[in-house]
Amino acid sequence: MSSRVVLQSRGRALRRLRYATPRIFATLLAFLLAAVWLGPLALIVITSIKPNKEFLNGPFSLPIAPTLEPYQKVWEGLNFGALMQNSLLYATTGSALAVSLALVPAFALSRFDPPGKKYIFALLLTGLMLPQQTVLIPLYDMLRWLHLLDTRIGLIVVHGVYGMPSQIVILRGFMTTIPREIEKAAEIEGATDFQIFYKVILPLSLPGIIVGYTLNFIAIWKEFVFALVFLNSEANFPVTVGMLKLNSDRYISAFNLPSAGLVISQIPIAILFILAYRRISSGNFIGSVKG
Amino acid sequence: MAKVSLIDIEKRYGNHVVIPRLSAEIADGAFVVLVGPSGCGKSTTLQMIAGLEPITAGQLRIGDRDVTDLPPKDRDIAMVFQSYALFPHLTVFDNIAFGLKIRRLSRSEIETQVRGVADRLRIEDYLERQPKALSGGQRQRVALARALVRRPGVFLMDEPLSNLDAKLRIEARSFLAKMHQEIQTTTVYVTHDQSEAMTMGDLIFVMKEGAIQQAAPPLEVYNNPANMFVAGFIGSPAMNFLELSPAGARLVDPANDFDIEVPERLRPALSAYHKPKVVVGLRPEALRPAPRGAEPAGAPRLAIDVAQHLGHETLLDASRGPHRIVARVASADDSKIGETRPFLYDFDKMHLFDSDNGVNLARVGANAGANK
Repeated sequence: MSSRVVLQSRGRALRRLRYATPRIFATLLAFLLAAVWLGPLALIVITSIKPNKEFLNGPFSLPIAPTLEPYQKVWEGLNFGALMQNSLLYATTGSALAVSLALVPAFALSRFDPPGKKYIFALLLTGLMLPQQTVLIPLYDMLRWLHLLDTRIGLIVVHGVYGMPSQIVILRGFMTTIPREIEKAAEIEGATDFQIFYKVILPLSLPGIIVGYTLNFIAIWKEFVFALVFLNSEANFPVTVGMLKLNSDRYISAFNLPSAGLVISQIPIAILFILAYRRISSGNFIGSVKG
Repeated sequence: MAKVSLIDIEKRYGNHVVIPRLSAEIADGAFVVLVGPSGCGKSTTLQMIAGLEPITAGQLRIGDRDVTDLPPKDRDIAMVFQSYALFPHLTVFDNIAFGLKIRRLSRSEIETQVRGVADRLRIEDYLERQPKALSGGQRQRVALARALVRRPGVFLMDEPLSNLDAKLRIEARSFLAKMHQEIQTTTVYVTHDQSEAMTMGDLIFVMKEGAIQQAAPPLEVYNNPANMFVAGFIGSPAMNFLELSPAGARLVDPANDFDIEVPERLRPALSAYHKPKVVVGLRPEALRPAPRGAEPAGAPRLAIDVAQHLGHETLLDASRGPHRIVARVASADDSKIGETRPFLYDFDKMHLFDSDNGVNLARVGANAGANK
């Protein structure tokens, strides 16, 4: 009798374990992946607040006498204020340009069936997949022809145009979720096509616009190759290019300085991500990319 | 205020004909219901009147104007959609004011008109809310307010009640009917629900495959259907159909002991009919089991299969051989499942239909349908 009870309860425990195992495993895996991603980041943050001597004694040790001195040094040495200003300018205006250019084509692709729609879309996707390097030389030539090499406006235009295809894909997906009847209602109420677009479609696409803008902002902030190739004057450099200096002898020997520079360069993205996180991870966005 | 005339309207998608040559006249101030099963072309017809679907051929007139090629905004119409199609990013006030703002009315004018119509529809307390904060019934009234506020010549309604729950739907029905009596604006109303059509319309257009099968007042459609389709579509439970062979003034099916007498008024039509089979139509309320003890000899005997007790009445499913009927009887009826009872039928409510094309024999030669 009692042995049967034991058997029963053991069976129940086994069964519970069987259901729990995948969940435990998944959780462990998630932690492991997070550690892989966050480990280096943590290391950089820790290094950035350690005096250089401490780092040389033990690269992985926690700081004994934490200091913000490295931050002050790189900020001044690299003229980080100016770099940040430039990056901010490129990211805000470049993304705005990309989104603005994408709005009308995205709407058209979400609503109308022009002949060859499939191919137009395929062409756009190709635009997404082209590696930057392949367009580097033609873009360089074009900018030279337009006398826009080494100008801020030139880089903004490049970023805007380069970001447009992905914005079209994101916005089109979002706009297809807007019910047609709402447009028809606006039409019945007397709105012209243009009024329908800016009084109804645009406000309803706002969540998609925010998502697209944020992603584009991050992409431009991190972008390096275009800025490196198309700009020459230090005054125009964004953070990514300005930080090349950290690669020089003066900084490379002191590990805490590049680390501090890296941390500074990531702060705006971290802020933006926190602000837009809910939008990006919400179902809206998922719904907007498929479809 | 305007009448609507559809003159030989045709709708094709490529080679696919959706509506072949449809003509109808909707009088000024009428409440017309387009009803039919899904795919019958009722919504397409409405969208063509609205100007949301181009008309392939033919002419559409609203009032005295040819509006065939005019955009919706120039047709003097307003529309209520099934999904309400409110603008989710605007408040109730701005939703109602949308069309007025586009027409550039003065701010004070807009204010008065919106408040007036909101008052009438009892949504004045929600004007500052967004549509998502409203219940289904409230949204429906906002959609109605948005249509009403512009005082259009014609109201178009595309299944406006089908997103409401059953109780609200009945309320909204009488509300809409009352509204129409007050404002007397020509209304074209699309629904697939025959009871909605019966209760709301001055005139019902029963549609099937892009053609109007019958255009008549509700009771006329019910009591004198043009054909089997109309007879079967209008009324719930549907009319019973029995396929029998004419034999003089009687209709028989010897194999199943069926022998029904044809009333005097239908005999001329039957004698002019020369096909081997004819379809008898009897509504559920025209059939009942003979009272116990007084069972007439000739009555067809049917086995009771199912009794659905609805409280105020009972529906009996009965059958014999291939013939199946539903009878609507008083709830006091004591029929037992499995028993066989002789059934009486109401002479005055009998219909005869052509077994090939479904045409109501009593109407042949008279006015055989409005649009045929």
